[in-house]
Amino acid sequence: MTQPVRPPPDDPHLVRIRGLTTVLNGKVIFDALDMDIPRGRITAIMGPSGTGKTTLLKHITGQMRADAGEIRVDGEDVSRLSREQLYKLREGIGYLFQNSALLTDFDVFENVAFPLRQHTKLPEVLIRNLVLLKLQAVGLRGAARLMPNELSGGMARRVALARAIVFDPMLILYDEPFVGLDPVALNQVLKLIRTLNQTLGITSVLVAHELEAVKQVADHVFLIANGKVVAQGDPKTIANDGSAWTRQFFGGEADGPVPFQYPAGDYAQALGFAGASK
Amino acid sequence: MNMREPQRHNVVSQSLAQIGASGLFLLTLLAAIPRSMRYFRETVRQLWFVGAMSLTIIMVCGLFVGMVLMLQLYHVLSIFGGTSASGMVVALSVYRELGPVVTALLFAGRAGTAVTAEIGLMRATDQIDAMEMMAVDPIAYVATPRFLAGLIAMPLLCCVFCAMAVFGGHLVGVTWLGIDNGTFWSNMTAVVDVRTDIVNGVLLKSLAFGAVVSLIAVFQGFTTPPTSEGVAYATTRTVVASSIAILALDFVLTAFLM
Amino acid sequence: MSQQRSSYAVGTGLFIVLGFAALAYLATQTSSVANVRQGDSYTVDAQFTNIGQLKERAPVKIAGVRVGQVQSITLQPGHDVADVKLSIDKNYNAIPQDSVATIFTSGLLGDQYVGIEYGSAKQAVAAGGTLARTKSTQPLEEMLGKFFGAGGVVDNVGGSYVVKADFSNVGSLSAGAPVKMAGVVIGNVVSVHADPVKLNAQVVLAIDKRYNAIPDDSAAAVFTSGLIGTQYVAIQPGGSPDVLKDGDEMILTQSAMQLEDLIGKFLVNGSSDKKDAGDGKSDTPAGKH
Repeated sequence: MTQPVRPPPDDPHLVRIRGLTTVLNGKVIFDALDMDIPRGRITAIMGPSGTGKTTLLKHITGQMRADAGEIRVDGEDVSRLSREQLYKLREGIGYLFQNSALLTDFDVFENVAFPLRQHTKLPEVLIRNLVLLKLQAVGLRGAARLMPNELSGGMARRVALARAIVFDPMLILYDEPFVGLDPVALNQVLKLIRTLNQTLGITSVLVAHELEAVKQVADHVFLIANGKVVAQGDPKTIANDGSAWTRQFFGGEADGPVPFQYPAGDYAQALGFAGASK
Repeated sequence: MNMREPQRHNVVSQSLAQIGASGLFLLTLLAAIPRSMRYFRETVRQLWFVGAMSLTIIMVCGLFVGMVLMLQLYHVLSIFGGTSASGMVVALSVYRELGPVVTALLFAGRAGTAVTAEIGLMRATDQIDAMEMMAVDPIAYVATPRFLAGLIAMPLLCCVFCAMAVFGGHLVGVTWLGIDNGTFWSNMTAVVDVRTDIVNGVLLKSLAFGAVVSLIAVFQGFTTPPTSEGVAYATTRTVVASSIAILALDFVLTAFLM
Repeated sequence: MSQQRSSYAVGTGLFIVLGFAALAYLATQTSSVANVRQGDSYTVDAQFTNIGQLKERAPVKIAGVRVGQVQSITLQPGHDVADVKLSIDKNYNAIPQDSVATIFTSGLLGDQYVGIEYGSAKQAVAAGGTLARTKSTQPLEEMLGKFFGAGGVVDNVGGSYVVKADFSNVGSLSAGAPVKMAGVVIGNVVSVHADPVKLNAQVVLAIDKRYNAIPDDSAAAVFTSGLIGTQYVAIQPGGSPDVLKDGDEMILTQSAMQLEDLIGKFLVNGSSDKKDAGDGKSDTPAGKH
């Protein structure tokens, strides 16, 4: 077992990705991707649907193994970790799923308490207080006894957030946190993301589509397309970046570097007109 | 689970692949037993859902099986004047065959499908991923407790089934058809042997069936594509595969044990 | 949430208890370890030479009414009688001491049960007492044998010894017919030959080796079982201190009674000699008034 190389704590980047390459079912998902995620900041990862943003998050947590390349989280190469070490690493990472992923058999309180019960032997009183603390932070302490199917989408997401921060992790990954929320709920989530980052200094990585929302919270944006980072920068200025990608993505053009037409054969031939003569 | 299996289109090789994969899965389940001892409460909870909640259907069906069996036997045996042996035949056929097999089939239909659907849904809603994220081994937390619960519940359910069947046989035979009560019991107790019929028949067979059904149910839940369509197919496959496996195993066990 | 947890635990515990209770029920009540416990009954012993198909928990009936059941059937070591314990309801506590316990069969192929026929003794059999008079089952072979005239012959696997006896008339005695003493079969007739020299019938008897204390002055007689039954050889013991050994000859013999002699005795009023028949009192007894 190699000793993990721990960079000095003032390494500005919590997650370093170098040369990440992954091929799934014959399709190249990542092609020598490089990315550095700054510590203590909110970073957004954006891109067209299907470019593998969620897959990237799964690589960071070690749920998926890359074919080539290296991902270092706080200095440790994720792909080299054994299962126990991986579980230890994950205790320091919070993950917010797109559909909240609350355990359906337990109520809100038990859902948030679940990681505590599984990994600690804290007395019941302490667990209770911790859970209520986290629920208060997301504004749902009064909903502690509701079941997940009684929650609205926004509330469920906030409960999932409470669960994700129960161990005060160093990194939180948000997988599409704004999808399907009404403006009120969206603002609530935005507020929480900002607050968590500012008060607790948690490094936050957002995968999202909504540029307006991203503009309000993110310090840095990565635009991923075709398995590579095609643009990055400050979200407020990236739209004026000038590259074809950013123009299409942020300018809302339907066709551009990401083609409108799914790759297909010759059109004339498909319709039966033999041989386009040009 | 990064499975990059080549697609198989042949039914035979698909079935073989499934059998092999479930065998490997069984090893994973068994290996996770020490870890799942931490989640003992989960096992108890699953025992409730899988076992106690199946009690109603098992008891009712047991009663009816016993009653029907007695009816059929009475009419056939009365041709030879041997109706006094009907209690014994009911008991033997239930303990050796009908009890374990019918209980296992009902169990697969009720508890097996519930487990498959639940696990499939948990995968579809990312709950399994969430557990992995929270550093809880999903096999040890979700799969093994359900497997162990099925393993424990089946013999118990089978005993209840057999008892209800004998009661049903007694109800029809003695109360309705007029077989002498003492004859009913004396013939039965003279022939039913604890080792051959009850231990080998009821307990061992139902234990084996419980293992098979639970394994198939959990395996299907964990390996289906996590879509609603996938879950629907998975529950069907659970019932079909369980039924075939139960009856095939029944033949093998009968040949060996009896 | 801990209340929910404990209710799962309680419910699951109940389920497990129910399962084990069902198992215990199956094992004890329906299998061969079934324990017979009647409320309020007393036990009576009876011994049978052959219990046939009688099983434990078979009914005990008086006049066809069920009064109890068979509690246990055991074979006493060293004896060849079966010891059957009957468990009889306390209400029926006036069974005379000399009642007869018989093993009956209900129907032609039915099950066997114990029937008790009242005797006439004033004293009732007490709890733990014994019914001395019993009738065992009739095994099928014996019944068929009686039809076909070969009943009661024992295959003497244990070995037998052979004695000879000469008769002036063996009647319808044939090989295989039983040899009895005091009504109990002790051997069989091996062969019946006419002796060309002595002009009588020479009969060879095989007697079971167990009965090796028969005095050598015993008489062998040809009797008929019943009025029109098969004939057998009866041995009437004498008083000699010496015993019959293998190859001995029995001197005292009594020949078979012929049917004609019997009828003649009636008709001719005395001797079997027809010469005295002309007494005139030749009217048959049928003509008696």
